[in-house]
Amino acid sequence: MIRVDPRLCIGCLSCSNVCPSQNILRTETAEERRIRWKRCREECDLCVELCPTEALTLVPIDESAPEPEVSFPLAGCRICGRRYAPEPMLRRVEAALPKSQTSEWVWDCPACRRRAEAERTTAETVAARRRRRV
Amino acid sequence: MAFYVDITRCIGCRSCEVACERVHGGRGHVQVHFVEDSASVPLFCHHCEEASCAAACFSGALFKEDTRTAFDVEKCTGCGLCSLACPFGVVWTDKIAHKCDLCDGRPEPTCVATCPADALSTDLDHLSRRARSRGARAAAQGGRR
Amino acid sequence: MTKVLVPTICPYCGAGCGFFVAVERERAVGIEQMPYHPVGEGALCSKGNASLEILHHQERLTSPLKRKDDGWAKISWDEAVGLVARGIGEAMRDYGPEKIALLASSKCTNEENYLIQKLARLLGTPHIDNCARLCHAPSVVGLNRTLGAAGMTNPIPDIANSRCIFIIGSNLAENHPVVSRWIHRAKDAGAVVIVADPRATPTSWMADIFLQLSPGTDVALLKGIAHQIVKEGLIDRGYIAERTRGFEEFEGSVGEFTPEMAAEITGVPAEDIIRAARAYASSPASMILYSMGITQHTTGTDNVQAVSNLALITGHIGRAGTGVMPLRGQNNVQGACDMGALVEFYPGYRRADDPGTIDLFSTAWEAPALPTGPGLTATEMIGAAASGDIRAMYIVGEDPANSDPSSLSVKRALEGLDFLVVQDIFMTATALVADVVLPAAAWAEKEGSFTNTERRVQWSSKAVEPPGSALPDLEIICLVARSLGLDFDYPDAASVLAEINRTVPQYAGITRERLGKEGGLVWPCPSCDHPGTPILHSSGFRLADGRGSIVPVHYRPAAEGESLEYPFLLTTGRIALHHNAGSMTRRSPSLIGRAPDLFVEINPADAEKLGIDDGDLVAVSTERGETEAAARLTEGIKRGVVFMPFHFPGTNILTTEAADPEARIPEFKVSACRIARRD
Repeated sequence: MIRVDPRLCIGCLSCSNVCPSQNILRTETAEERRIRWKRCREECDLCVELCPTEALTLVPIDESAPEPEVSFPLAGCRICGRRYAPEPMLRRVEAALPKSQTSEWVWDCPACRRRAEAERTTAETVAARRRRRV
Repeated sequence: MAFYVDITRCIGCRSCEVACERVHGGRGHVQVHFVEDSASVPLFCHHCEEASCAAACFSGALFKEDTRTAFDVEKCTGCGLCSLACPFGVVWTDKIAHKCDLCDGRPEPTCVATCPADALSTDLDHLSRRARSRGARAAAQGGRR
Repeated sequence: MTKVLVPTICPYCGAGCGFFVAVERERAVGIEQMPYHPVGEGALCSKGNASLEILHHQERLTSPLKRKDDGWAKISWDEAVGLVARGIGEAMRDYGPEKIALLASSKCTNEENYLIQKLARLLGTPHIDNCARLCHAPSVVGLNRTLGAAGMTNPIPDIANSRCIFIIGSNLAENHPVVSRWIHRAKDAGAVVIVADPRATPTSWMADIFLQLSPGTDVALLKGIAHQIVKEGLIDRGYIAERTRGFEEFEGSVGEFTPEMAAEITGVPAEDIIRAARAYASSPASMILYSMGITQHTTGTDNVQAVSNLALITGHIGRAGTGVMPLRGQNNVQGACDMGALVEFYPGYRRADDPGTIDLFSTAWEAPALPTGPGLTATEMIGAAASGDIRAMYIVGEDPANSDPSSLSVKRALEGLDFLVVQDIFMTATALVADVVLPAAAWAEKEGSFTNTERRVQWSSKAVEPPGSALPDLEIICLVARSLGLDFDYPDAASVLAEINRTVPQYAGITRERLGKEGGLVWPCPSCDHPGTPILHSSGFRLADGRGSIVPVHYRPAAEGESLEYPFLLTTGRIALHHNAGSMTRRSPSLIGRAPDLFVEINPADAEKLGIDDGDLVAVSTERGETEAAARLTEGIKRGVVFMPFHFPGTNILTTEAADPEARIPEFKVSACRIARRD
């Protein structure tokens, strides 16, 4: 079975995506993301290998141990307020960005980033067309 | 290589979206946005020189290959870090990442080839030459009437 | 696995873009670009890109059907054709051949349309029409009168050569998207673009001058422009003297019609009308593009004539970069008209009321008694069905129950027929009220020629087999004709085209062999060594004295105006992701997924007064009926005007049957309505 280090897990779902036996369950509400590792008897350690933070370890089965579970509140977008990602993921992204880049936009959800990009790229055109119509 | 959009040409017909979806098995990588009913723009991967999606990718699925940001689906675990690392919000994750592959294997990206308004190009020089000549002509005529 | 690339012509709009269907294991698996295509240069709009979705669609009709008490029974072709022969035969025997009517299809090939109208006329009925009646009948009537030919005068790529492009009543950026590339090319070279439309649209985004007129006031706008052109002496006197007639009377008719007067009626500032007049008249090559915003009016024919008047008084016709350009809606609406699937015309626009025409075709078809027209138009047929003057109908590839105005009464009329047979690729609203439904092949499942809006005739090849026992329309028409005792022995489309070469002079040189080459041929093409005629009227007009006719027109208001009970004007049109009555696009997942619902555009100030927020469900009602739609608030539409796309069944419940007195086109563009929030 899998042991989880909750201090390392960032809630990214890699493990759940790659598990060939669908033994890692995910539930997501508007508020939080929950991941539960079912008591797994497989000799497989794909999830361990593909965890970005090395938060997982393959350990011998222990019927008495509870199934590991973690939950992450989702961080809210600075612009629209919608909750969109576990905060540890965003911190990891922020740390990984090339040093030359700003990083505060990480706290905007992707939909708002797209909107901002659309408004930025069209601003000149929109202004010119508005002028023409007035 | 990357795409460039001539915003003044985009007509918001969403042909690039539908075409991209068609050649990528139903999952497209372009999203057309409308601004104040006055302009539209397709949003897609810029193949950034310093690609933050590749920087955030731990598995090596996203990487720079010459000027493009390449994607190796075999290595993707669907962690979603790339989606959160894209400043433009144009990398999607749904079990695996979905992003522009410049229509690898085709002579030209499908969105560019299909654009009815001829608004897209992979050649920035072409677009800026066109814009400059348009501006020069307008000026020669004493500005737009 | 080998992939075969089959060249076809897009089944949607009249631009006629070409693309290859990639075929693997007898299935259409992909689309490949056709970079050498003269109109699209390989580009396709969203609809073209989604077109394969209808080929292997699960809702395709795969077997002939007959109505039962509790639904439909699949039947054999033998039984189906027998039922059609009996249904039509009985109506003819009991009431006479003039009590049956046929609707040809602007989605079918030239060869199929030629056979449908021939079938109608050999059966002895003059009632043969197609849905051009609903889109460009005024162009056919108006342009034949003023210019002597009813088609776009110049090719689409020639737009790039224009220095002033005047787009009126056309949202081409959404409805003929590839046309945009040519307009932008002209703009790159310094062209001025004028757009006149009641709505701001992606087309008006291209405009240097935007004239936001009230619906139904086009004649007033065009007269105001003409007045200014005449007043400032911007007319082309030499051209008027040598090439036209009627100018003096016309001059008198616009003498009083100042831009200020036009401004009063249209709501467009007089200074913008003056700017537009100067830009259009003084450029070295100006072109007018128009579409259904001009034609779908009780004044449709007047609108068209007012458009061609502008071209004639300024001499902006017959040269590169000039001309009058009606953008046609369907992939083969031009061809269906050319083939004589119209009540006023036999093939090649030979007048149906001319004894010479009847003689000519009596000889060509070895038929002693052909009917003299004009018969009942597409919309008049429906009225006649309601009154019992038409007893049986054969409808090929058209959906009047969705596409005609006041659609609730259309459905009742069709239900009242003794016999109705509908031939289509899907179970349309019209097919649902039929007695017999015949399953047809879609464009890539058959071969034949299509004529695009530029008069370009192009061959489209067969890529895949039709589903189930569906058959190409050409085969079905021949089966039906033979069952009615006619000698319709056409093994393939090429054999029909060979007959068209003999009977339609404009198509005389457009042979199957020549259509095998890239780019097709543009009619008139009178002989096998003729290169085709991309630009019309370069050496005069096919009218008396070879002169174009300048026709005075008088402003009349639309049939319906605002009232206390119905304080808004509803105008209708199309959006980029759907096509016409929507039987294909509403079934196409990547299109309907992006534009799933009927909406109504309202100005925010009007919405506020009515307590309507963006996205609210509202009821739109007219004297004809009521429809629900989602409110879409936009500054792009004027106060007092609302807009709905007509791709959804709800819209034409509302529209008026009031029609142009000559061309009989209904006024889809102006209906008085009221709006209220649904709570």
